[in-house]
Amino acid sequence: MIQKKICLLGASSVGKTSLVKQFVEGIFNEKYLTTIGVKIDKKVVTLENNSLQFMLWDIEGNDRYNAFQERYLRGASAYIIVADQTRTTSLIEGLEIHSLARKVAKCPAILAINKSDLQPSWHWEDKGLEDYNDLFDLHFYTSAKTGANVDNMFIELAKLLQES
Amino acid sequence: MSKSTEAKQVESQQQLEQLRSLILGKNSHVVTDAIQKEARTIVGEVLSEALHDRQKKDGSVNKVLLPIVENAVEDSVAHNSDRLVNSLYPLMGSLVRKSVTAFLTDFMEKTNQLIDSSLTFKGLTWRIKAWQAGVKFSQYVASQTFVYRVEHVFLIHRETGLLLNSVNFNNTAKSDADLISSMLTAINDFVGDSFLDNEDGLKEQLETVTTDNFTLLIKPGPNALVVAAVTGKPPQKVSDKLQIILESIHSLYASELMQFNGDNEAFVTAENLLRDCLLAEQKTTEPKNNKTPWFAWIAVLFFIIILGFQTVKWWENQVLNDKLMTLDHESGVVINHIEVQDHNKVVLDILRDPDAISVSDWLQKNDLTIEQLSLTERLYHSLDLEILNTRAQRILLEYPEITMMWHSKILHLSGTLAVLKSAKLLSALTAAGFTLERNLIIEDIKPPFANEAITSKAIKAQIFKDLVGRISTIQLEFPVASADVTPSMQLTLQQLYQYFHQLNQLADQLDLNVGLVIIGCSDNSGSIAKNTLLSRQRGENTGDALNLLGLSKAQMYVTGLGQIDIMKVKNNARKVIFNVLYVSNDEKTNNEM
Repeated sequence: MIQKKICLLGASSVGKTSLVKQFVEGIFNEKYLTTIGVKIDKKVVTLENNSLQFMLWDIEGNDRYNAFQERYLRGASAYIIVADQTRTTSLIEGLEIHSLARKVAKCPAILAINKSDLQPSWHWEDKGLEDYNDLFDLHFYTSAKTGANVDNMFIELAKLLQES
Repeated sequence: MSKSTEAKQVESQQQLEQLRSLILGKNSHVVTDAIQKEARTIVGEVLSEALHDRQKKDGSVNKVLLPIVENAVEDSVAHNSDRLVNSLYPLMGSLVRKSVTAFLTDFMEKTNQLIDSSLTFKGLTWRIKAWQAGVKFSQYVASQTFVYRVEHVFLIHRETGLLLNSVNFNNTAKSDADLISSMLTAINDFVGDSFLDNEDGLKEQLETVTTDNFTLLIKPGPNALVVAAVTGKPPQKVSDKLQIILESIHSLYASELMQFNGDNEAFVTAENLLRDCLLAEQKTTEPKNNKTPWFAWIAVLFFIIILGFQTVKWWENQVLNDKLMTLDHESGVVINHIEVQDHNKVVLDILRDPDAISVSDWLQKNDLTIEQLSLTERLYHSLDLEILNTRAQRILLEYPEITMMWHSKILHLSGTLAVLKSAKLLSALTAAGFTLERNLIIEDIKPPFANEAITSKAIKAQIFKDLVGRISTIQLEFPVASADVTPSMQLTLQQLYQYFHQLNQLADQLDLNVGLVIIGCSDNSGSIAKNTLLSRQRGENTGDALNLLGLSKAQMYVTGLGQIDIMKVKNNARKVIFNVLYVSNDEKTNNEM
């Protein structure tokens, strides 16, 4: 079984844990996230010809109290920057994290704009967003609540990793 | 037109020839010199790429460089060792320290064990057990102290935290081993970053995680970690083993570790190496000793036999003792002291009544034979009922007319017996231990004719008269100047009492009232007054004596006549004489009488 380490990064309360939870049910408790700063789950993604096991490193949200921790990124096969559709600041922070992460990990990066079930903030313009798309290998509009695009995102990611 | 092209062709040919001669001709050195000057920069620009390409192509660069590098290192060590040492030092430092620590830990453990086991009671017992089991003492101590088992072993990729392979003790499914590996890596990273870097500038690493029941031993290597979960108390050698395995994995799978991209197929073969780490040391059950300690068993058996023997002997003595104690229950026997020494040797100290059963008879009766009986017997007078009975029976052999009967411990005698004989009987019985009114009743012993059936009144009357006559004939003779009632007189008085008693009975039947007149007399020696007194005294004494026998004073009258001046009797008139006074209740009877 091929295993890949995937990290989820982003500002706090964008929905990283909910995305993971929507995708998988892990053995470890959410509290580990707050104590150690990371919670790890695993999920097997089945593609046409083979399967990939994702080790999902759900990393604590970064704000002024929790600085970005690069240690958890080591050895990652890809990372996902998660942003909240209802908060523009979360996208900006996400991009900052992305640039910091780029220094440590030279692996594919995904942008996930979460909470697609809610009204986007009025700053949000598709046009503006296109600029940022270039920084990422893939981007998705997801909703951890409804499950929209969640599985799809991971499948696409698996396909991407398989090719590389 | 063709001419111009031809001319151009020739021109170019010519130019080419010129060029050729310039470069390769006599003056070619001009060109080469020019190239020479630029050679350095030209080569410099492409050197790395060229080497890279060449290496990729056929790997010959490595081969060529190898001896060069070796020589260079050798030269460096020979002439410039400092530099090498300095650069290697950080690496060597920590390695050396680690190995020294491991060695010292092992050494301390052994020393601790040794001290612990030499100077304690537990140590002593362990020495004995080890000697019994036939193992070296240190081995035995190790087996008792370090009871452990390696439950799981994980091989984890250092950078990503992904699980490369794992084994566990009882081969159950290891479904979450990969999650555990990742979390462990995360925790390790967390620790490393949270605490200060160590002296060598390297990040701190977890080495051991200990809980109540198990220990995680973590051995970090440059590209992979080996982690073992151990239950119990693992000795240093487990750590050493893990270290060895880690090193061999690094050497065997160096390239696979470097190129790891998530596919752990390459590490399936590492399972065997990891299995080598599944060490265990359990408490050994005492090994079966082929050689049973006969001597010890015989000694124990012997001891038990002796103990048993003693117990049986003691018990037998107790039984004999108890049996002999029943002798005490025999009437007329009191045991003072009894001692049973060994079987058949008895010391007995008793009090025995002559009428009681003898010891030998008693032993015979109870089927007891005692070979050595040391008997001390003292006679005593027993008042036990049985004994009294025996005596009474013996006494009554001479009195066949008397029948005896026991009522609630009192002997009732009945029958016909003359007064004197009954008196004799009474005294014999008293000597035997009977006391009137206490345990003896003789009311029913009657003088002979008391039982004669008196059918008619006339006969009764005749007998009445007869008795009166008899009483009248009774005389007590006193010595000179004496008024005491002597024992022989007592006998007479008893007779008199018997007569009077019968008289009383007949009087009731004949409707008469009787009274006894007691007359004291004296002879004519001495003064009249004195004699009067003396005679009265005699009478009173007699009256008292009769009263003691049972005659009430209301039925007697005492008087003293003093000197009796009758010629023929006056010299010996020292007597007490009796007479019965009887009156009838009605005139008719009186006249008849």
